[in-house]
Amino acid sequence: MKVFKRAKLEKVLDKLSASYEVHVPMKRGAQSGFFDYRTYNADFDELVLDVLNVLKPPKEAVFPQTEKMYSFKQEGQDVIIDKVYENEDKRIVFGMRSCDLMAISCLDDVFLTRGYVDTFYKKRRDNTIFVANACYSPGRQCFCDSMGVNPVEPELADVVLREYNEGYVWEIKTEKGEEITALIADLLEEKDVNLPEPKGCTLKVDYEGVDKKLKGMFEHPMWERFSEPCQTCGICTYTCPTCHCFDIQVKAWGEEGYRFRCWDSCMYREYTQMAGGHNPRETAKERFRNRFLHKLEFFNERYGKPLCTGCGRCIFVCPSGVSIVKIIEEIKGA
Amino acid sequence: MHRCNCENPLVPEIVEVVDIIDETPDVKTFKVRKIGGGVPFNVMPGQLAMVSLVPVGEGMFSVSWQEEDDHLQFAIKRVGLMTDELHRIEVGQKLGIRGPYGNGFPVESCKGKNMLFIGGGIGLAPLRSFIKYCFKHREEYGKITIIYGSRSYADLCFKEELFQKWPKERDTEVYVTIDKPEEGWNGHVGFVPSYLEELNISPENTIAVTCGPPIMIKFVLEVLEKMGYTDEQVITTLEMRMKCGIGKCGRCNIGSEYICLDGPVFTLAQLKNLPPEW
Repeated sequence: MKVFKRAKLEKVLDKLSASYEVHVPMKRGAQSGFFDYRTYNADFDELVLDVLNVLKPPKEAVFPQTEKMYSFKQEGQDVIIDKVYENEDKRIVFGMRSCDLMAISCLDDVFLTRGYVDTFYKKRRDNTIFVANACYSPGRQCFCDSMGVNPVEPELADVVLREYNEGYVWEIKTEKGEEITALIADLLEEKDVNLPEPKGCTLKVDYEGVDKKLKGMFEHPMWERFSEPCQTCGICTYTCPTCHCFDIQVKAWGEEGYRFRCWDSCMYREYTQMAGGHNPRETAKERFRNRFLHKLEFFNERYGKPLCTGCGRCIFVCPSGVSIVKIIEEIKGA
Repeated sequence: MHRCNCENPLVPEIVEVVDIIDETPDVKTFKVRKIGGGVPFNVMPGQLAMVSLVPVGEGMFSVSWQEEDDHLQFAIKRVGLMTDELHRIEVGQKLGIRGPYGNGFPVESCKGKNMLFIGGGIGLAPLRSFIKYCFKHREEYGKITIIYGSRSYADLCFKEELFQKWPKERDTEVYVTIDKPEEGWNGHVGFVPSYLEELNISPENTIAVTCGPPIMIKFVLEVLEKMGYTDEQVITTLEMRMKCGIGKCGRCNIGSEYICLDGPVFTLAQLKNLPPEW
């Protein structure tokens, strides 16, 4: 086994970030999330490979919160597209958990299949390497193994880290993984180590058959009750590693400007508000129902898996105590 | 299936507005042509395109007609920020365009059938592409009936076609109605669904295609059912807010279907399998 000692973690990150933009889980003041290691400041930031889960999901590496698409210039009636911003920077997401990798697999389904390839996404995705961190002891709000995710065998990983008492096993999975291994070869050593026994999630929910069952429950009165506490703040959608809805907006000044896309949220009224005034999801109940049906039924119908990977972030952040686990349980029992 | 020609499907191509026609006080038809001539892409009746007044905004519109390889037509109602600005542009303005999007009308499977078109307000814009397609391939379709209504005479779109051209086509009937009586109007007065019920067009070998405000569509569907049309004989084209047009941005879903990709055209049979959220 290739391993590196815990004390060498920062050295590993230093080496990798000499050639790559490396996103790592950090605590930054009241925030936690995946941030660019080049912005790491030991006085304010803390590397937290062990936290389950940092709040801001790693999806930004392939789907940034705000992304410039193209710039334009106009002169009188003429308009030209000046530049298209397709980002091909080489990037590593370091310390990703299985839930967040399964989420990337969901994003791949959305952005790379069904007739159109989203070029902005694809260019980032092709240049992103995933260093996963196997979960031997999932967090209190984690329920990934109920949603078809294996916490110790992450999907799509190029390298898998496995924490043992002295450091991390560095397990190479792909050619891309080999490439970055070469950069840190002098920090790795060969050693046989004992890995902990995987504990599995303590929070469990039975999702089996829920997608099919929901087919006949669109008009069920439970949606009224479920959505009642929801303040439609949208925080669940921002911290969700699979939520991928976006808005396209324009910024223009004088004769020039650019168009960009940014994360949007299905919890907002404006999301489906049409120019003529008609809104098919006018009320909070309708938007809440659409969000949960998208996660638990519609996505499954379209892509064959749920749009929830059991990371538990939405349960943790919701100011009103809405829990997708409780909702699944109630649907199951309804 | 006609797919986007551009390499990056979210980046528009620049086209020029070559003509603008005032249809009603708040509807204009814009004819757009590729710089250097021709259409930016081929469009089937009922398909959509994302049109941008580049510094202002982007909006999804039904292509109301493709005139050969010459230009595309969009009949656009002034209802919001972007369409307000669009209505102020002049011939020669460059616009962004991307598409074509959506499935379009099933022009092939409708061949040999009688066609019943039922439109309300700006809802005639998408139907027009199918109506004109039928006239262009007149021998391939049976009897054509068009029922169309608007708030007032002034609000009727495509008046020249409606009153001059279409009624002269072979085996074609055009019925026009306005919501309230007004001076100088001798035609029918009343809402589209009740006019449809009154006319009671036989469902025999007939396909009904409808588009209009969602509330009109809902009533029209009920009336058609009463008239004996089966769910497979009824087609509608829906509208939702859209941003990407390629099934990624999320907002135009009805159930697991995306209007921009799997629609906007659905049979009533398909629609009944979806949540009633449109």
